[in-house]
Amino acid sequence: MPMVLLQCDKDIPEREKHIYLKVDGEDTRSFLPISNAPTIPGTLSERGCSFCGAKLVIGGVLKDTIQMIHGPIGCAYDTWHTKRYPSDNGHFQMKYVWSTDMKESHIVFGGEKRLEKSMHEAFDEMPHIKRMIVYTTCPTALIGDDIKAVAKKVMEARPDVDVFTCECPGFAGVSQSKGHHVLNIGWVNEKVGTVEPEITSKYTINFIGDYNIQGDSQLLQQYWDRLGIQVIAHFTGNANYDDLRAMHRAQLNVVNCARSAGYIANELKKRYGIPRLDIDSWGFNYMAEGIRKICAFFGIEEKGEALIAEEYAKWKPKLDWYKERLTGTKMAIWTGGPRLWHWTKSVEDDLGVKVVAMSSKFGHQEDFEKVIARGDSGTYYIDDGNELEFFEIIELVKPDVIFTGPRVGELVKKLHIPYVNGHAYHNGPYMGFEGFVNLARDMYNAVHNPLLKLAATDIREPKQTPVKEAAE
Amino acid sequence: MGCEISTRERAGIINPMYDCQPAGAQYAGIGIKDCIPLVHGGQGCTMFVRLLFAQHFKENFDIASTSLHEDSAVFGGHKRIEDGVMVLAQRYPDLRVIPLITTCSTEVIGDDIEGTIHRCNLALKKEFPGRKIHVVPVHTPSFKNSQVGGYSECMLSIIKSLTSAKAAPSGKLNLFPGWVNPGDVVLLKRYLSEMGVDGTVFMDTEDFDSPMLPDKSIHTHGRTTVEDIQGSANAMASIALARYESAAAAQYLKTEFDVPYTLAQTPYGIGNTDAMLQTISQITGKPIPDSLIKERGVALDALQDLAHMFFADKRVALYGHPDLVIGLAQFCLEVELKPVLLLLGDDNSRYKKDPRILEMKKTVDWDMEVFCNADLWELEKRAKDPDTKIDLILGHSKGRYVAIDHNIPMVRVGFPTFDRAGLYRQPTMGYQGAMLLGESIANTLFAHMEFNKDREWLLNTW
Repeated sequence: MPMVLLQCDKDIPEREKHIYLKVDGEDTRSFLPISNAPTIPGTLSERGCSFCGAKLVIGGVLKDTIQMIHGPIGCAYDTWHTKRYPSDNGHFQMKYVWSTDMKESHIVFGGEKRLEKSMHEAFDEMPHIKRMIVYTTCPTALIGDDIKAVAKKVMEARPDVDVFTCECPGFAGVSQSKGHHVLNIGWVNEKVGTVEPEITSKYTINFIGDYNIQGDSQLLQQYWDRLGIQVIAHFTGNANYDDLRAMHRAQLNVVNCARSAGYIANELKKRYGIPRLDIDSWGFNYMAEGIRKICAFFGIEEKGEALIAEEYAKWKPKLDWYKERLTGTKMAIWTGGPRLWHWTKSVEDDLGVKVVAMSSKFGHQEDFEKVIARGDSGTYYIDDGNELEFFEIIELVKPDVIFTGPRVGELVKKLHIPYVNGHAYHNGPYMGFEGFVNLARDMYNAVHNPLLKLAATDIREPKQTPVKEAAE
Repeated sequence: MGCEISTRERAGIINPMYDCQPAGAQYAGIGIKDCIPLVHGGQGCTMFVRLLFAQHFKENFDIASTSLHEDSAVFGGHKRIEDGVMVLAQRYPDLRVIPLITTCSTEVIGDDIEGTIHRCNLALKKEFPGRKIHVVPVHTPSFKNSQVGGYSECMLSIIKSLTSAKAAPSGKLNLFPGWVNPGDVVLLKRYLSEMGVDGTVFMDTEDFDSPMLPDKSIHTHGRTTVEDIQGSANAMASIALARYESAAAAQYLKTEFDVPYTLAQTPYGIGNTDAMLQTISQITGKPIPDSLIKERGVALDALQDLAHMFFADKRVALYGHPDLVIGLAQFCLEVELKPVLLLLGDDNSRYKKDPRILEMKKTVDWDMEVFCNADLWELEKRAKDPDTKIDLILGHSKGRYVAIDHNIPMVRVGFPTFDRAGLYRQPTMGYQGAMLLGESIANTLFAHMEFNKDREWLLNTW
């Protein structure tokens, strides 16, 4: 009975199809949680909307681009100051957000004029910025504003600017995943092939599905520089808008996050014949394997081995120090989707950590296939987990640390379980060799936080007073 | 010389100061005990607001979504409301209130909220006989007002829905502070208690600052009960402390149940706190106790050390919630700080006629600008402008880069203040709040002097 109906779900029995407990000896092919399906209203799901999948996750990372959000103010306000993706130009992308500030009259009479005016203003106010992405939101999609036509008009009036439009209102799809898809496909349809890059190396790649969280892209860039590999486009960590227009010229697409950006790699393969190579950038074994594959593709294996040897010499002793102290730690991962399968085996191999429960907000079937293949028996695999389910799962598996977002982190703190930010990291970057030592350090410091022991101590013992009553 | 009131002329916004209406409604909703707001819209409208609250309070709050997907955009979202209400009722046995908060999408689609709630009530009655769950319609399309109006609208809707008839007078005082921090609620409750006034603070958010306990129980929730809300109709009087956030609810209780209502000064600074306490004293007949005279004196004593030596002539830019910004501008005047720029972040046309602003207009003898419907780009433009010298910024965390990039000392105040620890716990209201804010301003200026080697030796002997 590997599909599990939790106690808290007795009134929503359809949740049974979304929760899988892997059992030894069973044919896991018969049991795949349903995913990428509509959320049950009122369940306190963790999911966001497709607009945020496009703007906050992918488009908003670009360091030279105005993010014009065509809608009421909240969609802009809420997707600002919620991510940690720095850049090497002073973090322009984290400092600003733009909105057309739609009001009732624009809903009634249409918002295209307001959008056009807002776009011109934005370029006027920041004359050094020449690139823009325009997003629809729920109400502007519902009233049918033609943002593509407006973008065309603005580009005609300003020959030196380029504008991309992304039509993925919050209600589209079932989660942020839909927004990833819309932006990927739109970009390859409209923008790839419109800029020719300067080629500076015999070896060129696009690095896809990495958003420079706390400097991930910048850390990996050191490896590519040392290997003599030119990265034509980072999709989209620390990237310029025009870098991504030149993606068609890379010899190889290296894909990290296949969920948010696998789509564009597939299209680049179809349209330009660029092969796709999936790697994992988190973890020593995986990172080394990824570098080996990339170097094998270019026939520069020796360079790759030299790099790996240098990095191992520098970082492996530090990793092992943590491994010694973390072995046997029980970890839960409640994040978006791919990090489940990126991390479950790497923390086990590199750190001796056992992942006991995983929940994905927006993973698809292929993500669950991967994570169940890589993950342990006795581990729960959950699609679109909700708050009551989390409480129950915690009771069942008793994790020592949870990698999740800050809000859930605050919740589990009350249960004396430390969290590490699984989206934006605590003190990253976490990718690459150095990064995984950072992850290990953050996990160690979380698990060994002395406050947790103090929190569990009832200083009134042995005189038993029910704490609950006292607190009421 | 003098105060000029202007409005943003640009159509678009660069760096908003406020979130949209549903966010404000959610903040009012979580102040109620045994309550989970249900937001009727896309999932982002809930998920990001929960994140925002978590960033500010370092706590988790339960807010649900109807998870509007494409089919609802085409066929309407009624079914998802009904499902959402029933799922919440089934899975949360203590649940007593569900504010049903609309958004831009569901207002454009035109879902019949009241009709759907009627059907929900029938279904709830059938499945849970003997259990009363109040489903409250809260209409907050995001394209109207802002989080400020949304807070007010939700408070009003909840009072409207839960109060039905006037019962025996309770002799209690209703106190509506508006959108404030738990630290302010604790202060106001203490003031009422020291005055011997039996009062109810709407909403009582004291437990938004909640402990880690040995038994792992979670107490992060509002404390205002259904009975508190129902009892508001029987109170001896209501006092609203925020013109734009809480006056509407108090006004409704007056119109509907003849509960006398006073709009008191928002108690930021000494004078405004004096006025509030005097109002409470007049209404209740209770004298202002010696303990508060002492607290007032301690605050004055502390601020006196700072005002004419360190604060005088310092040019201050303020932004945030309207009642906060206006109240803090008045506080600035008390301690010889010069408010030169007040930014109010939505299109409410009443700001221009606010008597407090008109009063300042009459009295200031320097250039002062009140900018309505502002965004934080207006702040940044002035920070860049060498002619607008800004010595200090008072505002929330969303403007942090203006301070960082332009090397301007900034004191975080209001909502949200996610980039500083523990501010939600501190009062800004009252004598104590004025003192803490004044000292926080002083210490921020001192650190700035030191790190910029700007007469840091002044403090060698202070």
